[in-house]
Amino acid sequence: MMEKLHPFHVSIMIYMNQSGVIALILPRLFASNYGYNGWLSLAFFFAVSILNIYLISLVYHYGQGRSIFEILEASLPKFFLFPLYVLLAALWTLIGCFAAKQFVFIFQMLDFPTTHPMLLKLLLDILAFSLVIKGIYSISKATTVFFWLFVWMHLLVIYFFGEFQWVRLTSFVFQGETDFVQGGFDIYSAFLGLEIALLLLPYAEKNKKLTRAVYIGNLMSVLAYLVVSVISFGVYSLEQLKRQQYPVLDLLSYIKLPFIERMENLLFAFILFPVLVSVVLYTWASVLALKRIAPKADTNWLAFAALAFSFGAAWVPDVISEVEMLLKYFSYAEEGIAFGLPLLLIIVLLFQRKGHTHA
Amino acid sequence: MNDSGRQENKEPNMQPSMEYAMAELRNCADLNHLKLPEIGVDFVYFGHFIGSQEFTREISEPFTHIRADEVDQLLKRTIYKPITESQSLIKAILSGEVAVFHGSNTYSVKAYDPKSRAIEESQTESVIVGPHDGFVEEVEVNVSLIRRRVKSSHLKVIKLEIGELTKNHVYVMYINDVVNMEHVNELVHRISGVEMDAVFDGNMLVQYIEDNPNSIFPLFISTERPDTAASMLAEGKVIAILNGSPSVICAPASFFEFFSSPDDYYQRWPVGSALRLLRLFALFMTLTLTPIYVSVTTFHYEMVPETLLLSLAQSRSRVPFPPLFEAILMEITIELLREAGARLPTKIGQTIGIVGGIVIGQAAVQAGITSNILIIAVASSAIASFVIPSYIMSSCIRLVRFPLIILAGLLGNFGFMLGIGFIIVHLAGLTSLKNSYLTPLAPSNLKDWGDIFIRAPFSMLKKRPFVNQSPNPVRNKMRK
Repeated sequence: MMEKLHPFHVSIMIYMNQSGVIALILPRLFASNYGYNGWLSLAFFFAVSILNIYLISLVYHYGQGRSIFEILEASLPKFFLFPLYVLLAALWTLIGCFAAKQFVFIFQMLDFPTTHPMLLKLLLDILAFSLVIKGIYSISKATTVFFWLFVWMHLLVIYFFGEFQWVRLTSFVFQGETDFVQGGFDIYSAFLGLEIALLLLPYAEKNKKLTRAVYIGNLMSVLAYLVVSVISFGVYSLEQLKRQQYPVLDLLSYIKLPFIERMENLLFAFILFPVLVSVVLYTWASVLALKRIAPKADTNWLAFAALAFSFGAAWVPDVISEVEMLLKYFSYAEEGIAFGLPLLLIIVLLFQRKGHTHA
Repeated sequence: MNDSGRQENKEPNMQPSMEYAMAELRNCADLNHLKLPEIGVDFVYFGHFIGSQEFTREISEPFTHIRADEVDQLLKRTIYKPITESQSLIKAILSGEVAVFHGSNTYSVKAYDPKSRAIEESQTESVIVGPHDGFVEEVEVNVSLIRRRVKSSHLKVIKLEIGELTKNHVYVMYINDVVNMEHVNELVHRISGVEMDAVFDGNMLVQYIEDNPNSIFPLFISTERPDTAASMLAEGKVIAILNGSPSVICAPASFFEFFSSPDDYYQRWPVGSALRLLRLFALFMTLTLTPIYVSVTTFHYEMVPETLLLSLAQSRSRVPFPPLFEAILMEITIELLREAGARLPTKIGQTIGIVGGIVIGQAAVQAGITSNILIIAVASSAIASFVIPSYIMSSCIRLVRFPLIILAGLLGNFGFMLGIGFIIVHLAGLTSLKNSYLTPLAPSNLKDWGDIFIRAPFSMLKKRPFVNQSPNPVRNKMRK
């Protein structure tokens, strides 16, 4: 019997895929783009992400257990689909690639100024490869363990209760320099990762449970972002938040225990796990897309090719600002995919239903 | 193909005879041949397999009091089993039976009673509270030790043979309606498929039948304790006992089950739970202490608080080696001491411990070869590794530490986390009899956490562990 993904694991995969370095930057994005109490805008982004999941749930509903590739291939010609698959595979690989490169750059900045970042990236890619080739069920198991190794970090907020002051939140809402539109696109990149749910349908239990699991995973991310953002706004002033590149990392550096202090680099190392999950899931997704183009190709070789392409692409940006810029543009594209792909699928499915009814 | 199989092909219908037996077992100096020419009876057997008193009393003595015409009458007794095939004759003699020849008729009679070790406490799995008997090398004794604890008609035993040369017996045991029969069939299939001339120990057998024999982690539990084996059966696992080995193997197993000890169930539940948590903390300590030391002293000195930094710097200032080399040196020394202690007799082993632990440790610090903080880290992680109840898992965890130390020495905290990532990825791909090795963490089964991370009160442990996929998951119900 084929193993099925339990809804609990789907929630965790969605949460871990959404989490990552973006959580360290998010308070700055809120402060820079939405001004005072910018964290309140999280409610709006949450609503948008719910809409996004709703579109995915419609695909589940109308698709009746079929994979997105089967749905598309039933109605659209291959000369249209194959370039689309190549684009999707490239985009998913590159998002994972630059998320990893960003993580590696920050680590290099913190601890290894003389080490070549591509060496660190190579090791991360080898680890990702060893997981991707094991298949989605093993990926979900490893993700669950990574989740437990990562999620405890949220308890660290307790340390900041003493520093937190309500007065720093001020009584102003969305005042100061703001850029709602572009900032909105930047912030929504924190919710990217949920679109992977589109690909999980053939591997998961019933549609309804899967949809609920995606909602729960997304809610977990929102709660985590909320805690991090509120704490950041209550500990730092707005101007401080705008100037800090990684405000959450700076927060972590305050944590002191009797036998250890300046824990930010140790704690940052734990972010390896969500970053790894993102790389693995996006690579897995791109392998799925490539497999439709070359069904006879060995999955391991496709994973190797995707990660080799990712490794090659990671040589392009030399500094962290370039990586962040590239990641930003690819995130915009992925936001388009996150909404566009379900919409395309729904349209195709509606046509299929219509055709079926007429027949 | 085995020997008997060869004979079958060569001489399938050959009548058993003494000449055949003597020819087949020629040059076996340990073979006994007792002749009673006055009544025309011969006994052929291996003397060390049988109880000599029982042989005299039950087998040879009755023949000395009868006449030649009464032999046929005596051989009608049910203890004498007629043998009609030559291959069965050889097999019976090799299995410790006595072959009786009278005219053209051949019989075998059971008198198997070899000298064996008495039932003693297991040296590797000692407990403070609870039963103190342990498995021995005799499979019948081991099966009996389990039957004494599980007096149920549902306890079933399948007898298999393994080793083309050794023809050793393996008994697969399970409780019907509690075990998942897919597990039983799979285990029987795997054991039957082993093609090897000799398999001597349960831990050796495991390496032929595990899902991933190349993994460093043990995928089947092995135990020398009958109470543990019986509890595994009751939980819905299937066990296999190899003749000649005191290690009984149990499957399917999960990674976390290697950290529980029978002691946990014999103590009050809060104490049992504390012990479980202590062992998991020990796992954490043994994996992290030395790598973190290496990582911090190589790359992340800023993580050390000022008060501790002074003593650390002072202690490290005399050491001419990088922390990675220093740590590897001390870890290897500790492993040497452990191995020497294990190989030597107990009293000398203790002396080695004292000489190694105190004298070499102290001298190494004074000579400036290592820092005393590293000695503390290495010794603490070694002690923590011994807290893990399964010796095989403990050895494996100690070995896994080395790549972690090397990665931490090369890439600091990043390398350490990368190493942890590799371990988890490897564990995620493992299965035991096709069940996830990381159960109940992944796939998560929160109900089982009460018997994995703690030892919840018995009133809460109503269900059999998920990993066993029992068709009868509730423990207090038994299908009739």
